[in-house]
Amino acid sequence: MSFIPGQPVSAVVQRIEIHKLYEGDNLILGFSIGGGIDQDPTQNPFSEDKTDKGIYVTRVSKGGPAEVAGLRLGDKIMQVNGWDMTMVTHDQARKKLTKKNEDVVRLLVTRKSLEETVRQSMMQH
Amino acid sequence: MNNTKNQRDSDIQKKIDYEIRMREGACKLLAACSQRDQALEASKSLLTCNARIMAYMSELQRMKEAQVMQRVARRSSDAGPMDDRSPCKGKVAISDLRIPLMWKDTDYFKNKGELHRCAVFCLLQLGGEIFDTDMVMVDRTLTDICFDNTIVFNEAGPGFELRVELYSCCSEEDYSAGSTPRKLASKLSSSLGRSAGKKMRAALEPGACSATSNGGGATILLPVPSVQGPKYHLLAHTTLSLSHVQDSFRTHDLTITGNEECSYWLPLYGGVCCRLAAQPHCMTQQMMSGCLRVKLGGEPQGWTNVYGVLKGTNLFCYHQKEDMEAKVEPVLTIGINKETRIRAAEKDPHSKAQNICITNQYGGEEVTHTLAADSREDTQRWMEAFWQQFFDMSQWRQCCDDLMKIELPSPRKPAIVTPKQGSLYHEMVIDKSDDIGTVTDILARRIEEFELRAQLGSPPHWMALFDEDPPHTPQHLPPHSPSPRLHSRQPRSPRCQRTPGLLSSNASLTSDSDSPASVSPCFRQAWSPVASSSSGRFRPRTLSLDAKLSTLRGRGYNGFRCNCQPPTASSVSPRPTQTALSCSSSTSSSSSSEGSNSQESDLGFSRPSGARRSLRILRAKLDPRNWLQSQV
Repeated sequence: MSFIPGQPVSAVVQRIEIHKLYEGDNLILGFSIGGGIDQDPTQNPFSEDKTDKGIYVTRVSKGGPAEVAGLRLGDKIMQVNGWDMTMVTHDQARKKLTKKNEDVVRLLVTRKSLEETVRQSMMQH
Repeated sequence: MNNTKNQRDSDIQKKIDYEIRMREGACKLLAACSQRDQALEASKSLLTCNARIMAYMSELQRMKEAQVMQRVARRSSDAGPMDDRSPCKGKVAISDLRIPLMWKDTDYFKNKGELHRCAVFCLLQLGGEIFDTDMVMVDRTLTDICFDNTIVFNEAGPGFELRVELYSCCSEEDYSAGSTPRKLASKLSSSLGRSAGKKMRAALEPGACSATSNGGGATILLPVPSVQGPKYHLLAHTTLSLSHVQDSFRTHDLTITGNEECSYWLPLYGGVCCRLAAQPHCMTQQMMSGCLRVKLGGEPQGWTNVYGVLKGTNLFCYHQKEDMEAKVEPVLTIGINKETRIRAAEKDPHSKAQNICITNQYGGEEVTHTLAADSREDTQRWMEAFWQQFFDMSQWRQCCDDLMKIELPSPRKPAIVTPKQGSLYHEMVIDKSDDIGTVTDILARRIEEFELRAQLGSPPHWMALFDEDPPHTPQHLPPHSPSPRLHSRQPRSPRCQRTPGLLSSNASLTSDSDSPASVSPCFRQAWSPVASSSSGRFRPRTLSLDAKLSTLRGRGYNGFRCNCQPPTASSVSPRPTQTALSCSSSTSSSSSSEGSNSQESDLGFSRPSGARRSLRILRAKLDPRNWLQSQV
C-alpha cells in the first residue's frame, strides 16, 4: 500500500462496524493502534511500505468488540466514522476512536489479503 | 608467434560467443518478465553484454591490424632493436564508489511531484575488461548513490584508462486502480521540448548497441536485437588513470551528459568519490630469484652464499631457497627503491664476473652491498632484472612506494533486507492471519533459546500476555479476567525505558520491590511481580508484545516498543493528570472530553508519586524512537 505524497490513495477496503462495550465506566473497542504521522514508520511491523505513516491495528483483544466485528491484526485503518486516518497523528487517531458520546464506530480498513482476494475473484470471471 | 596470436584470436572469439549467448538470454528474459525490477536487471545485463561484445570485437580488430602491420614491417625492413622496455602489468581495483546527489529543496518538499525514481548502475571499463556494478534505485530520499562493489581489473598497464560510466533509467512506479490521472500527470511532466526531444531520440537510437563493422577479417556483423523494456541512458562518465591512484578515497570530477529534461536525469553534484588502488606485479610477484653471493663484513673474502629474491621494493636474501618457501626471515634485506643506485663494479680479479654494488641511503648514511652472481650470464640477468624493476617503478610511480591493499570481493553476498530492523519482533514473520497463539509458540521457542528461564528462575511473566488461562501461570500472577478486555494491559509507561541507564529510575516503580537481580536490566523493566501489589484484584500485568520482545533481546533502542500511554491508576485515579501528560496533543486541557478511557485500569498496583510518573510518561512520549501504541 505505497503512496505518493499529494496523490490520491486507493485501496480495497472493508467496512467494519464496532460497537463499543461498556467496561465499568469506560467504553472500549478492544484493540490497539500504532502509527501516525508523528511516529517513526520504520518501526511498524505490519506495514508493507516502511514509509507508511498510517494507523495500524497492532493488537486485537480476544473476544472483544473489535474481533467480533471482524477487525484483524495488522489492518490499516483508513477512516473512522468518516474521519480520515491516513494522515493523522497518533493521538488524533486515538481521539477519533474514543469519543465518549459515540458508541458505534464505523471503520474502513484495508489489508493485503483483501486486495488479493478481490484480484483472485476477478480473475475467476 | 602465430600460434599465440591464433590462440588469442580464438579466446576472444569464444568470449564473444559467450557474450552473444548471454545477450540472447537477457533479451529473452526482458521480453518475458513482468516485474519492473526484473526488467531493469535484465536491461542492465543486456547493456553490459553489448559493451563487452563491442570491446572484444574492437580488440579483435586491433589484433588483426597489428598482425597486418607486423607483416608489413617485417617485409619492409628489419625492425629496430626491441629496446623498448615494457613495464610490468598490475592489478587495479576500484571500490566504494559514491556519487553525491544535489536535490533542490523544492524537489524535496514538492507535494505534487511523483516520487521520481531512477535505477542506476555503473559500468567500468579498463582495457578489454568490462564490469558492471549492482543496480541501485535512487529517489529523493537518497543523498548519495553508493555502490558497494569492489571491481578488480587484472592485467592493467601503468598507462591504463579506467572509464567509469553511470547509466540511469527512469523507473515509474506501478500502481493499481486509479492510476490514470497519475499516468497523465507523469506524462505531462516528463514531456520534452522539441530540441530536447530530438536529443532524446538520437540517444535512443540503438547506435550504441550496434556491432561495429570492421574493415576486414572474419568478424560477424551482429544483428542488433530491438528489445522492449527499460532502456538505460548514459548520465555521467569520467576516466581515471594512474595519476588518480591513491591508497585512500579521492574525489574525481564527473562529466555529466544529459540535462534536466531527460527522464533519466538525476541531480548529480558533479563528482564521484572512490578508492582506486593499484598493485603492480613488480610489487606482488617475484621478479627475479637466484643464487647470489654477498660480501658481508669488511673482509675481502667474506662472501656468503644466499638465495636472493627480488620482490617489490626489496631484495630478500635467504640462506637457501627452502627458507623462502618456509617463510623464514631472510638473512639480509636490501632495499631496492627509487633512491637506490646499482652499478656493476670493476671486474674483480678473483671472480669471473662483475660485482654488483647496491647503494642505499639509510638515514644519513650510505650503505653499499656488494653482490656477485655465479656467472656472467647470471650477473647480466640480475642487472637486467634490476633495470626492469627500476623501469617499472618509474612507470607505476606512486604505486610502488607501498603495497596498496586490494580486498577481493567476497564471492556471494546474500541479499540484505531490512537493515534497519534489529528487534526480535522483526525477525518473526507474523502472517496477518496468524492468531496470537501462533505468536505465543514462536515466543516460547525463542525463550528457550535465550534461556531466560534460567536467568529468571521462573517462566517469563509475559507469557501470560497471550492466554486467558496461561498454561504456565506464574504463581504470583493469577490471571484474572473480569472482562473481555483481558490481556495486554498497557504497560506502565515509565517502565518502558529506552536505555538501561534510565531504567534504574524506573525500577522504583512497582518493580523495585523484587526484580530478580540476575535479570538483565532490560528485562527488569518488563515485569514487576504482582506480589508487590497490595490489593487483591489482579490483572496480569503485561507489556505489549513488542516491548516484551525487545526486552528479550536486551535491546534498548531498536525495536523498542512500548505503550506509553499513562495507565489509569485506579478508578479513582485522576483522569486529568494523565491527559495533561498527553504531550502529543496540543490541547492541554485537562478535560478529557474525548474520554481517555483508553487507559487500562491497572488496579491493585502500588503507584509511585504522580509527579514522578508523569515526568516519566512525558519523557517516554516525547522520545521519538518509541513507536506509540494506544489501546482503544
